[in-house]
Amino acid sequence: MSWKNIKLIFTKELVGTIRDKRTIIAMIIIPLIFYPLLFAGIGYFSKVGSIKSEEATSKIMIYGAEFAPQLVKHLQDYEKIEVLTIEDDSPAKLQNGDIQAVLMVPPDFKYKIEREEPIKLILKYDTTEAKSRIAQKRVNQIIEEYKSEIILQRLSRLDLKEEFLTPLILQEENIATAEKMTGSFLALLLPYLIIILIFAGAMHTAVDITAGEKERGTIATLLVSQISRLEIVLGKCFAVMLISFTSMVLGLLGLALAFLSGASIAGGIEGVNFGISINTIFLLFLVLFPLVGLASAVLVMVGIFARNIREASSYITPIYMLTVLLGIVSVSQGMELTGNMFLVPVLNSSFVFKELLMGKIYWDHILTTFSANIIIAGIALFGATRLFNKEEVLFRS
Amino acid sequence: MTNYNLKLTVQKKGLKFKMIQVEGLTKVFHDKKRGKVVAVNNLKFNCQKGQIFGLLGPNGAGKTTTLRILATMILPTKGKVKVNGFDVVKEPREVRKQIGFLSSETGLYDRFTPRETVMFFGRINGMEDKVIKKRTAEIFHSLDMEGFQDVRVNKLSTGMKQKLSIARSIIHNPPVLILDEPTVGLDIITARTVIEYVKNFRDQGKCIIYSTHIMQEAEKLCDMIAIIHQGNLIAQGTLTELKKNSSFNDLEEIFFELINQGEKLE
Repeated sequence: MSWKNIKLIFTKELVGTIRDKRTIIAMIIIPLIFYPLLFAGIGYFSKVGSIKSEEATSKIMIYGAEFAPQLVKHLQDYEKIEVLTIEDDSPAKLQNGDIQAVLMVPPDFKYKIEREEPIKLILKYDTTEAKSRIAQKRVNQIIEEYKSEIILQRLSRLDLKEEFLTPLILQEENIATAEKMTGSFLALLLPYLIIILIFAGAMHTAVDITAGEKERGTIATLLVSQISRLEIVLGKCFAVMLISFTSMVLGLLGLALAFLSGASIAGGIEGVNFGISINTIFLLFLVLFPLVGLASAVLVMVGIFARNIREASSYITPIYMLTVLLGIVSVSQGMELTGNMFLVPVLNSSFVFKELLMGKIYWDHILTTFSANIIIAGIALFGATRLFNKEEVLFRS
Repeated sequence: MTNYNLKLTVQKKGLKFKMIQVEGLTKVFHDKKRGKVVAVNNLKFNCQKGQIFGLLGPNGAGKTTTLRILATMILPTKGKVKVNGFDVVKEPREVRKQIGFLSSETGLYDRFTPRETVMFFGRINGMEDKVIKKRTAEIFHSLDMEGFQDVRVNKLSTGMKQKLSIARSIIHNPPVLILDEPTVGLDIITARTVIEYVKNFRDQGKCIIYSTHIMQEAEKLCDMIAIIHQGNLIAQGTLTELKKNSSFNDLEEIFFELINQGEKLE
């Protein structure tokens, strides 16, 4: 086995892949340009929409305004509220969106206030309409303020201080570190994304340089050269690994950009502090590489086995779906892996990713996952080379 | 069927000139539907330096199988095959150094230019870059490829591609060329170019084994012709010898005569 020969095949596959427009579109344009623009667009329009609703004046219809003149005055004093007089068709207007909320004041309002009995006010609004939700929020706020006012009046009448109402104060302190908070946020999504991006990134190239070579009849020209079949398989597999890894990184970067651009335009990001330590990143990579190798080796093996690109794609679809399924299983809350389960490829990596992102380092899990995936990748490589030596596989038509 | 006797004159020029030696070559495939298939049965022939050896036969006769065995792509079930003295089973890597392989099915990498393609094939055949560059310049000049040497293959015409395929197969200057129906699917002008180069290579002293199902091509091109039918070698000799042993004067007629006799024997 010569590294020089492996490098020749590796370089050839890499150059061929990079020159393929589809690769550039899938690897760079879609994640790094399309997604951020799309999310920025969504963010922009949702912001424009929310600004419009925030600025608009809420039209509120009041039934029984005459029973609670002070409350009505409070509402009228608020500059973005317009109080309307009673009309019979107000429910219809509420549905049309001509008015944003209807407030109903009972006739015994004044009586109950004086007798210090609770008064039931009814606010009708439409939760599917942004403007109506804002009106509801505004009315709610004003009612709360008015309520506090009444309470304070009552307290002072009884010669009581405001503190009378707060005998206990519970101060909550979150001890989760920034790393752990980021982790739990990322741990939900990231393992799944990483796995999908690795497989999706590897698929096209893996099929193109194996089944594609068979289809185009270039494979025979490699077989009669000085390069051994193991060198061909390794060169191809390494090229797929690099492409897969790069598209995973670019994919994540693109999604991060998309998230940031979308969120910052829509109104800033709160509570996410991206703190991941160098150690964690190193361990993530340690688990990542065997997984990339495993995906590449398996896909290359399937590609070599298939007669042509179409056949390869139909073999790969179920593998991809299985991967997606394992990804989904692993991100579902409350699922725990035990002992031997860390021998299951994909699932094991996903769990270790999750643990690492939560700041938990279990060496037995990391080592089991690492070795299991390396061994399975090795078996797939061995299988791919065996297939490459089988004339009935190479030359069936 | 192989007992069918034509008086074959083995050109006794000494063993060292026998670039390809095939003896008792048999290849059996296992097919799911058809079971055991004898693709090639007990073939025996030799090809010499400076000679175009034609394998003539209809589709499915076993030509491609024979040439794939010669090119070390598949293994023989039985028999001995040597290329320039190297055994295809025991020394495949050495054999690959001796051969240039081209068939109607071999393709090219679309996203590379002719210059890059030839560079790649030179390298994977263990050549130094300096030597490859020098030889590329010579080959491109003689094949008149300089005008499109830096254009990507997917932009080339069929004729240009075929020239590149030839260039690719001879970059490492192999003494033996294995050509499996190299003119199939080509227009007559391109086919003629290919044939001219094949003649050229013979004149340079290379040993060429050339399979075809086109009688006229074999008649025009080949110094020796082996006719195979259903995996069996049914006649072998120069065109003159084949004619001498037949009641016909035309290769096509001779061919059908031989096939008919072969089937009667069966």
